[in-house]
Amino acid sequence: MRKFTNRLMAILFFLVPLTSLAQTSISGRVVNDKDGTPVVGATVLVKGAKNGTKTDANGNFTITANKGDVLVVTSVNFVPQQIKVKDGNVIVNLATADVTMDEVVVTAMDIKKNPRELGYSVQTVKGSEIAETQRENFVNSLQGRVAGLTVTPTTGAAGASSGIILRGFNTMSGTNQPLFIIDGVIIDNTTFNSNSYSGSGVGLASDGNNRNIDNTNRIADLNPNDIESVTVLKGPEATALYGSQASGGAIVITTRKGKGTGGKLLVSYDNNFRMQKLTRFAKINDEYGPGTSNGVPTAPPLLGQFTSFGPKWATGTKIYNNRDQFFETGFSQTHNLGLEFGTKNVGFRASGQYLNNKGVIPHNFYKKYSFKLSNTTSIGKYITVTPSVAYSNADNVKPTKGASSYLMSLYQWPANNDITRYEDDYGGKLTLFNANYNSDFDNPLWSAKNNTTGDITKRWVATLGIDIKPFSWLTVAGRFGYDTYKTEGYVFIHPQSFYLTAATLGTQDNYYRKYKGYNHTITASAKKEWKGFTGKLLVGTMWQDFETQAFGVFGNHVADSLVAGKLYKNGSVINGFNPRDSNQTAVGSRTRLLRNYFNEPNRIIFRELAYFGEVSIGYKNVAFLTYSHRFESASPIPKANRNYNYPGASVSFIVSDIFPFLKRGNIVNYWKLRGSLANTARLNDPYSNQSFFVNNQNSSTIPGNTYGFTNANPYLTPESQETFEIGTEIRFLNSRITVDAAYYNTLCTNQITQGYRASYATGYILNTTNSSSLRNEGIEIVMGISPIKKRNFSWDINFNFNHMWSKVLSLPASIGQFNDFYNSDTYISNVRGGLIRGNSTGTITGSTYQRNNAGQIIISATTGLPLTNAGNQLIADRTPDFTLGTLNTFKYKNWTLSFLWDLKMGGDIYNGTDQVLTGIGKSARTADRNTPIIVNGVLNDGLQNTANPTKNTIVVIPYFLSTYYTTMPDEEFIQKDVNWLRLRDITLNYRFSEKITKRIKGLKGFSMFITGNDLILSTNYRGADPAVNANNPGSSGVGGYGLDLGNAPTPISLSFGLRANF
Amino acid sequence: MQNKIFKTMIFIGMVSVLFSVSCKKKIDDAYLNPNAPVIVPIESILSGVIGSFTAFFSSAGTGYGVQADGILLGRYIQYWGSQTNAELYGTMGFPGSPASASDNTGGLWAAVYYGQGQNVNKIIQWGAEQEKWDYVGVGYAIRAWGWLELTNIYGEAILKEAFNTNLSTFKYDTQPEFYDSCRVICHRALTYLNRTDGKVSQANLAIGDFYFYNGDVNKWKKFVYGILARSYINLSGKADFLSKGYADSAMKYANLSLATNADNALVKVKGGLTSQVNNFFGPFRGNIGAIRQASYPADLMSGNNAQAFTGVADPRRFYMLRENINGTFKGFTVWLGSGGLATNDYPFNFWGPVIPATGPIVPSSTGAPVVDSSRYLYQNTSPWPMMTASEMQFNIAEAAYRKGDKATALAAYTNAISLNFDMLTTTYSQNIRAANVITPAVKAAYLANPAVVPLAASSLTLSQIMLQKYIALYAWGVQLTWTDMRKFHYTDLDPVTGNQVYAGFTPPTSTNLISTNNGNWVYRCRPRYNSEYLYNIPELTRIGALNLDYNTYKPWFALP
Repeated sequence: MRKFTNRLMAILFFLVPLTSLAQTSISGRVVNDKDGTPVVGATVLVKGAKNGTKTDANGNFTITANKGDVLVVTSVNFVPQQIKVKDGNVIVNLATADVTMDEVVVTAMDIKKNPRELGYSVQTVKGSEIAETQRENFVNSLQGRVAGLTVTPTTGAAGASSGIILRGFNTMSGTNQPLFIIDGVIIDNTTFNSNSYSGSGVGLASDGNNRNIDNTNRIADLNPNDIESVTVLKGPEATALYGSQASGGAIVITTRKGKGTGGKLLVSYDNNFRMQKLTRFAKINDEYGPGTSNGVPTAPPLLGQFTSFGPKWATGTKIYNNRDQFFETGFSQTHNLGLEFGTKNVGFRASGQYLNNKGVIPHNFYKKYSFKLSNTTSIGKYITVTPSVAYSNADNVKPTKGASSYLMSLYQWPANNDITRYEDDYGGKLTLFNANYNSDFDNPLWSAKNNTTGDITKRWVATLGIDIKPFSWLTVAGRFGYDTYKTEGYVFIHPQSFYLTAATLGTQDNYYRKYKGYNHTITASAKKEWKGFTGKLLVGTMWQDFETQAFGVFGNHVADSLVAGKLYKNGSVINGFNPRDSNQTAVGSRTRLLRNYFNEPNRIIFRELAYFGEVSIGYKNVAFLTYSHRFESASPIPKANRNYNYPGASVSFIVSDIFPFLKRGNIVNYWKLRGSLANTARLNDPYSNQSFFVNNQNSSTIPGNTYGFTNANPYLTPESQETFEIGTEIRFLNSRITVDAAYYNTLCTNQITQGYRASYATGYILNTTNSSSLRNEGIEIVMGISPIKKRNFSWDINFNFNHMWSKVLSLPASIGQFNDFYNSDTYISNVRGGLIRGNSTGTITGSTYQRNNAGQIIISATTGLPLTNAGNQLIADRTPDFTLGTLNTFKYKNWTLSFLWDLKMGGDIYNGTDQVLTGIGKSARTADRNTPIIVNGVLNDGLQNTANPTKNTIVVIPYFLSTYYTTMPDEEFIQKDVNWLRLRDITLNYRFSEKITKRIKGLKGFSMFITGNDLILSTNYRGADPAVNANNPGSSGVGGYGLDLGNAPTPISLSFGLRANF
Repeated sequence: MQNKIFKTMIFIGMVSVLFSVSCKKKIDDAYLNPNAPVIVPIESILSGVIGSFTAFFSSAGTGYGVQADGILLGRYIQYWGSQTNAELYGTMGFPGSPASASDNTGGLWAAVYYGQGQNVNKIIQWGAEQEKWDYVGVGYAIRAWGWLELTNIYGEAILKEAFNTNLSTFKYDTQPEFYDSCRVICHRALTYLNRTDGKVSQANLAIGDFYFYNGDVNKWKKFVYGILARSYINLSGKADFLSKGYADSAMKYANLSLATNADNALVKVKGGLTSQVNNFFGPFRGNIGAIRQASYPADLMSGNNAQAFTGVADPRRFYMLRENINGTFKGFTVWLGSGGLATNDYPFNFWGPVIPATGPIVPSSTGAPVVDSSRYLYQNTSPWPMMTASEMQFNIAEAAYRKGDKATALAAYTNAISLNFDMLTTTYSQNIRAANVITPAVKAAYLANPAVVPLAASSLTLSQIMLQKYIALYAWGVQLTWTDMRKFHYTDLDPVTGNQVYAGFTPPTSTNLISTNNGNWVYRCRPRYNSEYLYNIPELTRIGALNLDYNTYKPWFALP
């Protein structure tokens, strides 16, 4: 099947241009009839034909048409107009109106619907808006632009991944990332998960974690300039149609396609040059010298101990600003080229992008180039085909992150040492104090150079859309997609690194990963009108077949020996390593993924077959009822439970049209009420229900086997997710003000809890059962205001407000009332993202102060220091109170200024970086260590829980009692209610007037812009940047957002460039 | 119009059906895990399960079995003590409170539920499917062993709900239920071990149990009888031991059980350069460098016990114990560690002295000699007994003695000692200095000593039986000896001698005993921390396991 479609696509791709015909070209301009301002992005179609175009930034368009043809001009918020083609330029005056009748939004299954019909919320972001942000990973540009969408970048490194969460976390163990659909085809957005689950998965052969490693989320391979629009389906009904794969929501991307240009070649070119700088850091204190405790200086030869609890540096000691010596100014350049050509019925679009980003961290880069060719061809009257093929190549090198990273080394580095001297002639590490290289901390510059991860991904994505309209009432549509990529990557730790023992002599993971994803959706939709009723019926099928293959090898001894400071391999001194060469490690030290021992890749295969149907009934275009049902069968579920189905329903009423008097006085122009209700399923990870054997090494005549840790329950059934949403949409005052508000409530039951602990009486250590549930609720308000709308000046504001809350309703019975269920990947230092019954999904658990019944801290009567509870108690909740994105757009003549403010209020953060730095006397909080203090609390003298506890009066001077800092519980490093206000993106664009551009032959439009990203961050957070993730999106469940340990913050960026159309 | 719709629907329907058939198959194909084995030969499972008797070693967990726990529990029967002893007697490896996060003494819990657990289930299930009845019988034998040893150590535990993978909390069952279940399973094991049909094959069984019984089903049967014998002799302290015929059962099954040292149930190890194939007590693994023999066995075997075997130097001490610089055998007072011992009385560790290049030998060294010069159970490749013929004779001796059949008791007692001597000279003869080798004459002389073996059956005492058993089970039988001693509440008196059955055995009182024990000695281990104390709280609360003195709760067999 797949081969066949691939061939079909290839054939269509090359044959279709032959069907084209020659015509004449018409150009014109579309303006607002009130103020004469250009209408940007209006659709211009030749009536009865398939070709069409959109107006550019000046409202101009060019289209191939015959004299006498009728042009249909439509745009959001305007009344459609029809104009007969005559000679010369056409000026179309569009009247603003209630045009909700003719709006179109792309929903599930690439189905275009009028928003009036929708019983659920969708939000669309224009591709141009995304491209304008100049962000290389386009998902970062969505933050603040869509209510209920949260983007968390993993680090500030070039090529860092970003996670997207829509409407909270709906699963504790599965992935919460939304499904990505491009032109009706599912496209992979995996972030490489380093865990390989004892070699049975497709992660690293060393069975790594996502705390120390980050890889790009793969949707970043998409060229942002190819995006026409992004529709975010957060609501229940649309996801019900997409099925279990979209239970985290769906991001539906429509790409730009070639329209008939009437034989003309349209060329667009733009570029962007960007500088980046890090401005936010952990607050450190460089006043004190080495000493393990209590102000006692460390005596040689133990000077290498990186604890600064010694006396202050002697006067005259040179102190280096190593931080500024470390970070560089990042620089990137991007070039985009777009070509459009074709005839009346055949349009091509070719695009290419080149991106070269050198990050702010030394040796960190992200290089990408991509090409895409797409085509739209109308064959005869009934058939339209839209094939496309895209290639991308991304090369990324990053240092390791987290607790064992260059960043922690940098913060910890002794202030009297200049980090710029860090390597010998052979690239080896220069030690500071310790003769043993592996006992001496890694110089951050050396670390960033030598402890690295890298990957190269080459990806092909081919899509094919076929639309057949045999009858006016019937449309058959097919969307076929093939997505494949190969990634070659490595994780390299240098033999001399502090993070290895001397005997290890370097470790290296190499992996070779191949993804192949085929999917198609075929739908047939019919519609019929009858006495004011409109009936629509949609039936369809969807097939998904995704496979990841992986080879992985991990070994140590990248060098044979380390003698007198020199590393040797095969008898000669080594001068540098090539971490892409898996042959560097010692043969006997290598471990592999399980199937790799048999020269086969490990595989994760996911297949799913679905049938679905949707019936919609509309009455006089004012009331709509839709019911959908989806039947699924998917490979991760055992046969007995494999067939499952779920319904969805929605209603929509245009109240303002049912009761037209509401519109009197031009106050309310439009009022819609809507509601929807849907169930969906969510699947377990493939194979997570099959317990497998691991090696047993007890004495045996044959290789021994023993069940591994995990009780993988074979009786799993899919998780259930029930959502209802009610909402309303109102437009006031000539649609100058629009409000769209929604409340949703998602109940997730029968949740598959993976890897939770229980009594060993199960026969295992970790368990998997359908045993948890949670509820997510939220309110989203999207508001648009146009305070000024004049011929030469306009101002638009868009607000995206989001307030959500959640509750963990049940957990496996083995998790006690005060215990937490956690994903061990989130376990950093002692803190983890533990879930507790009755609390939100954003909780953090860790060690706490001991408190008396009145909540006062209990102080040891002997030391004067607080007593602590080890383990993992509830210490924080990361969920924000609300978020508000505010997008302002000003247009004045040829100038456009737009900027996006992103406000987050509330939500706690764990500052693990500060905890580590406090523990070694480097945090700013240890600066004032000579002032005698009395810890506020009551003494542990037996009276602590009486009516009159003894107030602590024991004076401690932290300088002489460094345990004051080293024994602080995790709770102390929680910062409550962290707010931020960020200026996410700001762009100033100047379009040169036609007078100037006319002078250059062929030049149709020319503009220049300057863009800033993350320029302003106003926050009460005491650490570097509160937008952090201790894991990456490859981690499942809630993951490590809001856990800050050793991750570079987001740099500020300033870029400029030009855009030209020919 | 209608016709068109009809035709279209038929066409779409046909395509869908065709498509669906092939897709369903593809979905089926993708279900099974292609990467890791979900089905393996049962032969390859058995070896690991046998390893879990002593010290399980898989890539998903190590050390579960009797050995690691034994190092900690050995102190309560005063087999040995730790030289870095800083904790109070009675804490059972849980410094501070029972809630402290430690899996100490939870090794057997993990071995029975996890190491053996589902692995044994699969041996039984797949063994039956493959008609390998011998494997099925062996599986049941191991399960029976597990239930008995588990309840003896932990008291109440999970029986009926065990291995139900749909549960995440588990009810605890009583100790009599464990005993009953153990016996039922023993008989089921015997039924299968008696079968010779199907795919039963010694050669095939030997693939799995090469390092235990090498495919000898008859020995497995004897092992099962031995478990039955233990299940009855363990109840000898109970009031109904005689009235319910438990004494007869103990004797009957012991007689059917291991008869010669060739029958001994020994877990053997391959030996080599990796930990997993070396003895947990051996120098390569390095686990017992910090423990030293206690004074009680040292005195008992040196003739220094004032009430038992006084003046009799036991020739087995050169095998089982370790001398000091003086060449004598002294030991620690367990709760004092090395305190109270003169420097020259300080015993070397069980691997023997480390000879430094220069300077004197340091007896407190925790290191191992370069060449494995260890003896007995302390060598890298020592087989580790799980049950011996000698132990069975002691069981007969005790049961017969309690029945009043002293002639049978004396014969079994004598045979028991003799078998123990023979085991040392045949299985553990390595690295014994020529002067100390037990020759037939040496053994005969010992057995002829009336202080050890009374001339008249009527002179035999319970104390002698239990003390000789104490010696014969030295080092390997920690859990068994602890069961014996708890039967006698450590200090019960021998009605004949008027002394303690365990003559001169003195557990600590007051200040040396952890205060939360309320002056009581330890009687059970707490269930494994990471299994139960975190994830099975309601049941722990119900049975009182959250109480700080739970470890002093007497097990069923120690109650009247």
